[in-house]
Amino acid sequence: MEESSQNTISDGAPSAPRKNDEPFPGESRAVAFGIAGWLLPGLGHALQRMWGRALVVFLAVGLLVFAGASMKGNVFTRQGSDAFDTLGYIADLGTGSFYLFARAIETGGADVSHADGDYGTRLLATAGVLNLLAALHAYEAARGRKA
Amino acid sequence: MTAIPPLEVTHFQAFLLFAVVISVAFGFLGRRRPKDRVKYILWSLFLFLLVGIGVGWAMFPFSR
Repeated sequence: MEESSQNTISDGAPSAPRKNDEPFPGESRAVAFGIAGWLLPGLGHALQRMWGRALVVFLAVGLLVFAGASMKGNVFTRQGSDAFDTLGYIADLGTGSFYLFARAIETGGADVSHADGDYGTRLLATAGVLNLLAALHAYEAARGRKA
Repeated sequence: MTAIPPLEVTHFQAFLLFAVVISVAFGFLGRRRPKDRVKYILWSLFLFLLVGIGVGWAMFPFSR
């Protein structure tokens, strides 16, 4: 594969400028898949017909968000008082639309005075970071750089 | 939406939930063939448990 593409390049004029100015063909499509995967966990993979990965990402992020909110973990908001709150908010936002789901089901508010609430906070942040990783994977897969 | 009943779990159950979910997600994202995925998931889960329980034991003398 690599060899054939090298041959194709060497067959043409070596110093000729490339016709396609885009650094990688389909870059905007890959970005769209990444954003879709962030907004709805698993969607970036589903659009590429990677059904198994899409289902696992959707269920994993969904389960972590549901468990985290059920354990009365802290769902951070924009009105954070310090840098840790801001970092927590960024991590929670990583779940995309599931952030709203977490806010909706945690109507009683957070309770981090117990270990459960503390674990819940971690599970929510983990869900966000995991979804960002999955969205990045969907982006890379669309570029043909991931198996 | 009505409030859902709070989920109460032990430290180990919360840790196990985290380890299983993350191991499965990493296995599916990181490997393509089913056999490789199973091997990766089991190995990752084993390491999570080993490190988690190991760190727990290491902290035990300082817990009181």
